[in-house]
Amino acid sequence: MTLLWLRLAVLLYGVAALAVLPAALYDRPRWRHLAVPCAVAAALFHFVSLAETLNAAHHRLPVETHEVQSLLALILGLAFLLVYARYRSVSIGIFVLPMAFIFAMLAAFRPGQETFSAPIRTGWIFLHIVLLLAAYGALVVSLLASLLYLIQERRLKSKSARRWLPPLDTPLETIDQIALKMLLFGLPCMTAGLLIGSVIAQEDYGAKYFGDPKILLTFGLWIGYVAMIFIRRASGLRGRRAVYLSSFVILVVLFVWAANQFSAVHRFATP
Amino acid sequence: MSSNPQRLTIMKPAQEATTGHAAEGSLVLVGVNHTTAPIEVRERLSIPATRLADAVRTLVHLPGIREGLIVSTCNRVEFVTYQDASHGQANANLMRFLHEYFAIPADDVEPHLYEFRDREAIRHLFRVASSLDSMVVGEPQILGQVKESYAVARQVGAVAGTLDPLLQRAFAVAKRVRTETQIGSSSVSIASVAVDLARKIFGSLQGKTVLLVGAGKMSELAARHLIQQGATCILVANRTQEKAALIAGQIADQISMQIANNNPHAIACTTEVIPFEQLHQQAGRADIVITSTGSEQHLFSRAHGQRFLERRRNRPMFFIDIAVPRDVDPGMNEVEGCFVYDIDDLQQVAAAHLADRSRESAAAENIVSAEVEKYQQHLQSLESVPAIVTLQQNAESLRQAELARAEKRLATLTPEQKAAVDALTRSLTAKLLHPQIIDLRKKPE
Repeated sequence: MTLLWLRLAVLLYGVAALAVLPAALYDRPRWRHLAVPCAVAAALFHFVSLAETLNAAHHRLPVETHEVQSLLALILGLAFLLVYARYRSVSIGIFVLPMAFIFAMLAAFRPGQETFSAPIRTGWIFLHIVLLLAAYGALVVSLLASLLYLIQERRLKSKSARRWLPPLDTPLETIDQIALKMLLFGLPCMTAGLLIGSVIAQEDYGAKYFGDPKILLTFGLWIGYVAMIFIRRASGLRGRRAVYLSSFVILVVLFVWAANQFSAVHRFATP
Repeated sequence: MSSNPQRLTIMKPAQEATTGHAAEGSLVLVGVNHTTAPIEVRERLSIPATRLADAVRTLVHLPGIREGLIVSTCNRVEFVTYQDASHGQANANLMRFLHEYFAIPADDVEPHLYEFRDREAIRHLFRVASSLDSMVVGEPQILGQVKESYAVARQVGAVAGTLDPLLQRAFAVAKRVRTETQIGSSSVSIASVAVDLARKIFGSLQGKTVLLVGAGKMSELAARHLIQQGATCILVANRTQEKAALIAGQIADQISMQIANNNPHAIACTTEVIPFEQLHQQAGRADIVITSTGSEQHLFSRAHGQRFLERRRNRPMFFIDIAVPRDVDPGMNEVEGCFVYDIDDLQQVAAAHLADRSRESAAAENIVSAEVEKYQQHLQSLESVPAIVTLQQNAESLRQAELARAEKRLATLTPEQKAAVDALTRSLTAKLLHPQIIDLRKKPE
């Protein structure tokens, strides 16, 4: 029962982590009405689970690794709720909620336990792959849109009809919107893909999985993705600088992709 | 490819038509346009919309004129008539109508008149409707004007069996030209070029803010174009505050009037006067800045552009600088997100578009020629209908006579066999006639 509450809390942290993205980054404040209650419910279930665990272990202090991980996750979840209660801001949740999810998940799923049946597990892996590929695809489309923006901008600034350039009737602002919307679409995909992948990895390998350079680079990529959206939205970055930023993140994606050849825990299957 | 107008010095009797109309009537188009007549002549011949119905009615009441249509715009006045070929005075009556209705001496108008007949009249009408004969080739208004003239003529019953289908075809040709060529795709006036450029930057202009700096007809016109495209806030700045208030008031009045008149293009729009001293503090609010002051110095420098962009979080700004000397430092165009077009740039774009239209007009002329040919063939096929009907009736009489002659010999046949014989003879007659009918349709003469 203890584990069930904790797994429920993990699920709710995951939902809250996804819902906080539009609330904090996309100017969609209504999403906080999902993120905050989910975080509250997660913290509640998490507290019950931790209390039961400690009670069953007949000690009041968390001394085992999983107990410490669980407590750390709870503290992170509560920190998010406290900040929200005090400042009505959910921005911190962009980073804090995924961390709470990861730590709670480390405590909730043990390597070799085989929590999910084989078909469900296959479905999760499929979802993990599709979501991450969708995120990478969105990133590539966003870069292409940024390049088109650059071409159209140059064309308008040059004031002469350049015959060697193909006609491009899409307005600048529309191209910019395409570039940004693609990023906004890609981030939840990447977040959900990583969260799902983390659960599967935890089941297979345990915490050591998250120390692999490829995995660390992937989380670095996620942070880069968030930073890129934040910078674009905060400063209205477009044109040349947007292309540089997108190119940099694409470069990280390529490194992450290439790391699949060398990673000890996350490799492409050989045909 | 184009049909050059034939100047009329002496009115000649109607030539025998080449289309086959000669037997019944002849299509005659007489008129003046911007290439043959100066404005002084065109304005004397011009017919206001309120008097057009009356003029068309008078025209078709002339002896020998069966159908008529008058196209009267600022660049042309044309009389399209379908005349009785047997009535030798029809054209002379038309000329007398011109002199009497408009009270213009013949010598004043005749040197500027052109006349087209039948095939060439069809071609000219197609070219006019397709905007190939317009002062600005490809401008869209002419088709609407021809349609309005047609509506008036139809209302008074001046168009029927000949002009009605001809006009319908002219509209179809104009539509084909617009669809299959790029003749009307680009703007050629300064104001519309400015609007086009704004749309290339912002897409929809819905909700955009326009700042008007200084006063000038062209800048006000550009602002009105932008409002029509959806701009919803107009800021006006002028060194003289009263003048700014006057311009803002005029724009507001015009929009209110358009809304009151249920103009579908009218959009609710706010106007605001900003003090000239606050120009640089407020200009960043505007997405589009139209400047036309008499300032000797640049009003907006490159540094201003950078500051505006910072305040706007890099949202683009479009500067339309109509002033001479220029109000906006050309260097501002190098600032990422700032787009500066001065009057020369706008004129250059307009000229390039005009050149594009000229190139497209060759393709359009080909379409018109093909359509004229098709219409001619259609007319010819119509003219051969009576001959074909006669041929078929004769053949049918012969068939019936032969069947009657053989009636006794066929008396022993069952009803089914008789029906088979009837069908056989009918089919044989049709097959024998087929080559002749085809030939008649091709060569009605």
